[in-house]
Amino acid sequence: MSKKVGVYICAGCGIKDALNIDALANLASEEYSIDTIKTHENLCGKEGVELIKKDIEDGVNAIVIAACSPRVNYDVFNFGVDKVVERVNLREQVVWSHAPNDEDTQMLAEDALRMSIVKANASEPPVPFKAEEEYSKKILVVGGGIAGLTAAGEAAKAGYEVLLVEKEQRLGGFLAKNKKRVTYPYKELSDTGIDELISEVSGNPNVKVFLGAKVDEISGGPCLFDVKISQNGQEITDRVGSIVQATGWVPYDAKKLPNLGYGKYKDVVTNVEFEEMASQGAIKRPSDGGEVKSVLFIQCAGSRDPEHLPYCSSVCCLVSLKQATYLKEQDPEAVSYILYKDMRTIAQAEDFYRKAQRDGNVFIRGTVESVGEEGGKLYVTAQDELLGEKIKVENLDMVVLAVGMVPASRPETVPKIKAPEGAQGADAEGMIEVAPDSGFFANRALNLRYRQGPELPTLRYGFPDSHFICFPYETRRTGIYTAGCIRRPMESAQAEEDAIGAAMKAIQCIELTTQGMAVHPRAGDMSYPEFFMQRCTQCKRCTEECPFGAINEDEKANPLPQPTRCRRCGVCMGACPERIISFKNYSVPMIGDMIKAIHVPEEDEEKPRVVALVCENDAYPALDMAGVKRLSWSPHIRFIPVRCLGSVNLVWIADSLSRGIDGILLMGCKHGDDYQCHFVKGSELAKIRLSKVAETLQRLALESDRVRYVEVGIMDYHKIPEILDDFMKVIESVGPNPYKGW
Amino acid sequence: MAEKKQKAAGLATYEPSFAKEVFQNVDYGEKIKMCMQCGVCAASCPLSMVMDYSPRKIFYMIRAGKREEVLSSKAIMLCTSCYSCKVRCPRKIPVVDVMHGLANYAIRQGYVPREETMLFGKEFWKQIVRLGRIDEKDLPRRYFFSKGLIPGVKKAMELADMGIVMLLHKRMKLLPERSIKGAKELRRMLDKASAMGPGGR
Repeated sequence: MSKKVGVYICAGCGIKDALNIDALANLASEEYSIDTIKTHENLCGKEGVELIKKDIEDGVNAIVIAACSPRVNYDVFNFGVDKVVERVNLREQVVWSHAPNDEDTQMLAEDALRMSIVKANASEPPVPFKAEEEYSKKILVVGGGIAGLTAAGEAAKAGYEVLLVEKEQRLGGFLAKNKKRVTYPYKELSDTGIDELISEVSGNPNVKVFLGAKVDEISGGPCLFDVKISQNGQEITDRVGSIVQATGWVPYDAKKLPNLGYGKYKDVVTNVEFEEMASQGAIKRPSDGGEVKSVLFIQCAGSRDPEHLPYCSSVCCLVSLKQATYLKEQDPEAVSYILYKDMRTIAQAEDFYRKAQRDGNVFIRGTVESVGEEGGKLYVTAQDELLGEKIKVENLDMVVLAVGMVPASRPETVPKIKAPEGAQGADAEGMIEVAPDSGFFANRALNLRYRQGPELPTLRYGFPDSHFICFPYETRRTGIYTAGCIRRPMESAQAEEDAIGAAMKAIQCIELTTQGMAVHPRAGDMSYPEFFMQRCTQCKRCTEECPFGAINEDEKANPLPQPTRCRRCGVCMGACPERIISFKNYSVPMIGDMIKAIHVPEEDEEKPRVVALVCENDAYPALDMAGVKRLSWSPHIRFIPVRCLGSVNLVWIADSLSRGIDGILLMGCKHGDDYQCHFVKGSELAKIRLSKVAETLQRLALESDRVRYVEVGIMDYHKIPEILDDFMKVIESVGPNPYKGW
Repeated sequence: MAEKKQKAAGLATYEPSFAKEVFQNVDYGEKIKMCMQCGVCAASCPLSMVMDYSPRKIFYMIRAGKREEVLSSKAIMLCTSCYSCKVRCPRKIPVVDVMHGLANYAIRQGYVPREETMLFGKEFWKQIVRLGRIDEKDLPRRYFFSKGLIPGVKKAMELADMGIVMLLHKRMKLLPERSIKGAKELRRMLDKASAMGPGGR
């Protein structure tokens, strides 16, 4: 694309009072030979925008706007997808955060303008990706419990074709085995409503139900998922646009609980078994079919226990209250004891707890010690917390263990794969346990033909990684959304809501992908990574490091990018040592040019120069917020926004240092168990790569202190001056880069 | 015997019968079913430090079936009706009424957990019925001497200073007080109320 660049400098918001705008305009004209340079008092106003639009009519197609942060007014400065627009952050990051009419502030503004002009020159407007194969807008729902049924029903009602795959011979999941349900408004028992839901969903012409079926294989990506379903020995293939995984849960194995008598005494049952018994008829003693006059429910059986399930399954307290109510309805003289650690009634279910109390159930707060048998009846001993003594409840007809929920994805034993060379912890056969966040960990449900594994990576406790606290349905595989108890333990009303959300995300994915756009978090982004395969050395870094498993691999280890699976983070770009990956508007040479555009003063001028690579999700907004709050920091730092720290290619560090830049700071989001990084692994990878840079720096006789990685959360704006000035102190103490002036 | 054996083994048994007894015989007794053991009553009670069991614990013990401990506890006799608990209870349990109800029930069952409270209460009530009001000199006199001459004189001597101040400030009369106007009508009302039975039903 032949570029005609226009530079527009806004004088408003205090910019003209702090900077010499004419000098900036001169710079653009002299250093970059730009003809169209305009200034305006209020560029974001109607007049300002008209001014730019008029120039566009005259041929300007690369617009550099030196004004406010790119995070604001992006709707105002939108001139069409075929134009290149670069924003110079003169307001928040220059004028609002540095001394006005100061030489250093002016130099800062000049460098910012240089970098944007250079980027505008190198950038191309993205061309949306469209595969040659036909795109599908169908949705595959795996799992026919309440979450799966609701997702299928909602998607169908919205006009999308749905394939609903259920492994059992009937739909309904665990809810179908329930006698009653406790749901909003949580005042009394209600009917499960599952039969109506099943007939409504199966009856919808948009829904195709496959009972007794499972998913054998899924390959491709959003809008191009090729699915193979096997049912009764037959294979059905179809192409779908996105997937909702609602494969649910299994109860925790009560046989693993010592001292509670499960398996030893017939009258000790789990809450799941009690529910099944109640739904099939009267509640009777399993041992001799006798009357049930007293039952004790042991809550948190194997839950909130580091030896079993460390987490709370959120619904078991409500379930026991429900089951105690069954007993009272069957026989008002019967007594239920509920032995609990805490009484957890989620949502507004406290009302149901009150009802259970009014009904006369006895609540004991304590820790169970043992379950035994005496004279044909059961007894339970426990440490009663409120009485402060050990108690025994005798003459019980039944004991119910309220066990927790385990997601269907969690394997019984951790799978093993062949250990890579040099890995620690391999056993005698060279096999090593798979990490939970690997795609090889979870139980098979989707069978994805992805290089990074057949299932969704899991986070804690075997639940599929939900990617980010703000985006619950997201997983680490684009186009696949989890809903219901597979995602976390939840009760039926929540599972319904969850499913509706997941269906909406699935639809969103299809609609965006058909337009060649990315989904969360860079929703609407039309750029995608392109690979210059002639120089690929098959090192496999991109295929292994992509946080979303978006790149497949052939037998010769050549990467096979799948653009509809891509989230456009650029981690592959940062990983590639040969630098063959680039986006139309974001590439290694582009940022390299930006760095080279920075004016580095001579050593004797005593003005250090630091390049800060700032991630767009948390660190850049924190910087902006610090500017809005008029906080101030060293004017010697040049900020370059990057999509993710994972996209930082180490050559940029080499480029900076060889130009005489004194220090490089990487500012990004938190990683680890409670990660904030929108691309999951980006900042973690940046940190790991930096640790390898230290060696190179030493060989160049440069101090490793010059390169630093720092975690910045979006709310850490008040720490920005401290972080930046701290780094400047370190740079000042190691002294100027000896490569200056070379 | 079985109970003694269990106590020796250090295991208390849960017995639902006492709870049922309380629900049927104590004013508002069935409200304690709603107690969620939050402890706000115990924390608010200004007498909790001298009570043997806090109100929260009393309710828990009722549900656990500890009849002896509850009916012979000092706690139920120590309630001064300040209403701090009742006002704060998140489950709207009328704690004050239940505590008094338990005290009443305990006395009817033959327990006398705190003799002084019971004696004072009786004298107080007798005065109200007779005069329709309290005679500041007469009530303490009857209470002090209810246990005998010597204890009475001792107690009166202890509080002599306060008594003189009250006399000087005309808060107490040396001569007997007269009754209220309509003391007879009051007596008729009280007779009718006690004829209606507990809980006014």
